[in-house]
Amino acid sequence: MQPLVESPASATSDIAFILIVFFLVCASEQPDKGRGQEFPSNEKTSETQKRTTEVGITTSAVTLNGAVVRVEQLGGRLETVLKGKTEARDRVVMVKTRSDVPFHQWLKVTGVIKDAGGIVTLQIEETTTKVVN
Amino acid sequence: MVSVVLELDMRISRKQFGASVPSMAMGDIAFLLLIFFVILAKVDDDSHLKLTLAADQNLVTGKLKRASVAIDEDNKIYLNGQPINSAGLSGALSNILGDSGKGKRTVYLKTHRDAPAQFYEPVIEAIAQAGGELHIVAYEER
Repeated sequence: MQPLVESPASATSDIAFILIVFFLVCASEQPDKGRGQEFPSNEKTSETQKRTTEVGITTSAVTLNGAVVRVEQLGGRLETVLKGKTEARDRVVMVKTRSDVPFHQWLKVTGVIKDAGGIVTLQIEETTTKVVN
Repeated sequence: MVSVVLELDMRISRKQFGASVPSMAMGDIAFLLLIFFVILAKVDDDSHLKLTLAADQNLVTGKLKRASVAIDEDNKIYLNGQPINSAGLSGALSNILGDSGKGKRTVYLKTHRDAPAQFYEPVIEAIAQAGGELHIVAYEER
């Protein structure tokens, strides 16, 4: 038996269009994948700087407390250095980056530090410009 | 006089057609226009920027972003798709984040993979100063 009321076929294209727009908007709102980075802050006290582990990044090398290490070795070395340190302030790793270091290299090194249990803190050199008349 | 009367009688009366705008479709049109302008009004759209993300592993899905900061391949800085300098970034971010609580202060950072530290480090510092929770967007390395 035929139903008395049929769905209007003329509205199908409208419904399809609205559904396309709906899914496009939903897709554009999807959060991007990435890595959460803990709040970095400037450590300014000299006492804190003395006991902080320091990692230096240049375009050609990575240093751990002044000694050159390979990136592959950095994780293991850091785990050894941070072993037994339970407090967050003791796990702070000061990262000094040369101004020409590309972002992908910085991301790789800071990822290794984070995986080793370190808390990344940036040390940024403050530059001031003085105009002399 | 007779001929005039004949001419009048030969006229064919035309049927009047109504030319009204169909009011049935007004709701649909208004709805589609609304969606169109809502999409256009997305102020935080930075899809037009030219940058290649750095690769990383073990990536996680970020929380809903409150702001998006990007550094393109020309090392120009953008906040929600609009150009900005690093000096004004912290203040602008503070205004956007306001008094939002923890977990609702997520700031996405999209940086071109080859951008030098002199550009991305001040940006990270500005996000930290504004109290933003940094989420570095990266390309999933397999």
